[in-house]
Amino acid sequence: MWDYPFMVNAFRAGAIVAVLAGVTGWFMVLRRQTFAGHSLSIVAFPGAAGATLIGVGAAYGYFGFCVGAAVVLALATRGRAGHRAQESALTGTVQAFALACGLLFVSLYKGFLDGTTALLFGTFLGITEGQVMVLGAVALTVLATLAVIGRPLLFATIDPDVATARGVPVRALSVVFLVLLGAAVAEAAQITGALLVFALLVVPAATAQRLTARPVPSLLLSVLIGWVVTWAGLAAAYYSSYPIGFYVTSFAFAGYLLAHLVRWVRP
Amino acid sequence: MSIRLTAAGLAILLVSATGCSTASKSTASGKITVVAAENFWGSIALQLGGDHVTETSVIINPDTDPHAYEPTAKDARTIANAKYVIVNGIGYDPWAPKLLAANPVAGRTTLTVGDLVGVKEGGNPHRWYSPADVHKVIEQITADYKRLDPADASYFDQRKTTFETQTLAPYDQLVAAIRAKYAGTPIGASESIVSPLADALGLTMLTPQSFLKATSEGTDPTAGDKTTIDRQIGTKQIKIYIYNSQNSTPDIAAQVKAAKAAGIPVTTVTETLAPAGSTFEQWQTTQLQGIQNALAQATGK
Repeated sequence: MWDYPFMVNAFRAGAIVAVLAGVTGWFMVLRRQTFAGHSLSIVAFPGAAGATLIGVGAAYGYFGFCVGAAVVLALATRGRAGHRAQESALTGTVQAFALACGLLFVSLYKGFLDGTTALLFGTFLGITEGQVMVLGAVALTVLATLAVIGRPLLFATIDPDVATARGVPVRALSVVFLVLLGAAVAEAAQITGALLVFALLVVPAATAQRLTARPVPSLLLSVLIGWVVTWAGLAAAYYSSYPIGFYVTSFAFAGYLLAHLVRWVRP
Repeated sequence: MSIRLTAAGLAILLVSATGCSTASKSTASGKITVVAAENFWGSIALQLGGDHVTETSVIINPDTDPHAYEPTAKDARTIANAKYVIVNGIGYDPWAPKLLAANPVAGRTTLTVGDLVGVKEGGNPHRWYSPADVHKVIEQITADYKRLDPADASYFDQRKTTFETQTLAPYDQLVAAIRAKYAGTPIGASESIVSPLADALGLTMLTPQSFLKATSEGTDPTAGDKTTIDRQIGTKQIKIYIYNSQNSTPDIAAQVKAAKAAGIPVTTVTETLAPAGSTFEQWQTTQLQGIQNALAQATGK
């Protein structure tokens, strides 16, 4: 397995994506912005299809569309944390439009659109050294930003009112986080596909938060779970002919069930 | 707290991304390992290489639609181990260049048929239905073999002579015979796969180009095109109808039915080798005989 550069690249990319998704996903679940994350991942589909249509690398499409949609969502709701209902309605609207655009791009593309299934459900074959570098650079940027805003962001998430009263820029943080989330989704979508991003973004974080309420161990656990299921998924997909998206998602889901079981056995 | 934590995350990330090397393994063997993206090119490559090559084709299942093919990890391994790779190009197998790019190997030669015959993306990718292009590919494969294995150059030359003058003789003769007898006969078809062959046979393709391309690429045909085709069938403007049985949509099924009802002979071609175990020339000659019989029946010549 390690003799093949394409597998080594896949494991590298998988590790980068899993760590990034583990961290951003943890904040996302805590902030109850799962639906926003879902919509951003849907946007990854027209992003990739559109990039293929105009003949640039799919990665540009992923980042351009996901981050762009994140900015739109952030600006439209202006980071008002209290207006969840309004945010989710707008998010749903953006998501529907994005899916429609993706469908249009796929049908506009003159020629054979390379695997719509792969865009939706992921592939780990064909990751080049250059792509690993791009994934790594973006991941470093996002994680560095999170390192800087992590503490106030956590405060603003857990108790926005007190945070505002203490002078924490709650709205600005919310905008920044949504953009970071967009970038993280764009990364994860390149491995898991647009529809299965959640396997890495939500499930590890949700599992970790079930197991422990303390922030540090649960964040670390979220990263660890994401990493383990990604590498296990890659290995399983290498030795069998079934798609990677299925394995990663199933392993993550099994972990989630296990976490519930642990909670139930050990109250 | 979270700052330190994230820093730790960064550290593991960096270690994981740089810790392993992508040095590639070299496979030492006397034979050239040949991988063809599709089995029609693979069949030709195998016959030209004889026992000095080992050949593997990726798309071999007649039930698989090559346009929508998603490679498996096994395919990626197969391609990674190849010394000589044949891909069709022209947007027909976009997964293949991706797998090649993800797995760079020193000394690997890639033949992209589209580049060889000068057809760009957006053009008709079905080059194996063009006898002239098939012969160009044969020339190039033998030239590449001789460069990869100079010691066996005379062996490869001899294989090529046998293949072109004997093995492909019935195929070339059928093409020439149909052309001589039926050139100019108007025909209808289900998709663009038939176009290069129709050109070589001198048959006049009446089906709108846009419809042929839409079927081939799996997009929706226009209502105008469908009306035109229905009229061509209804008024027997086309003498025979050729369709790709591996890529049949409800529209095509309806056209086949209408053509049969109107008394127009219908014959089939397939995307890849059918049955799966046959050779390129067996497959093509059988199809050409089908076309010849249909033309004979339709024109009475």
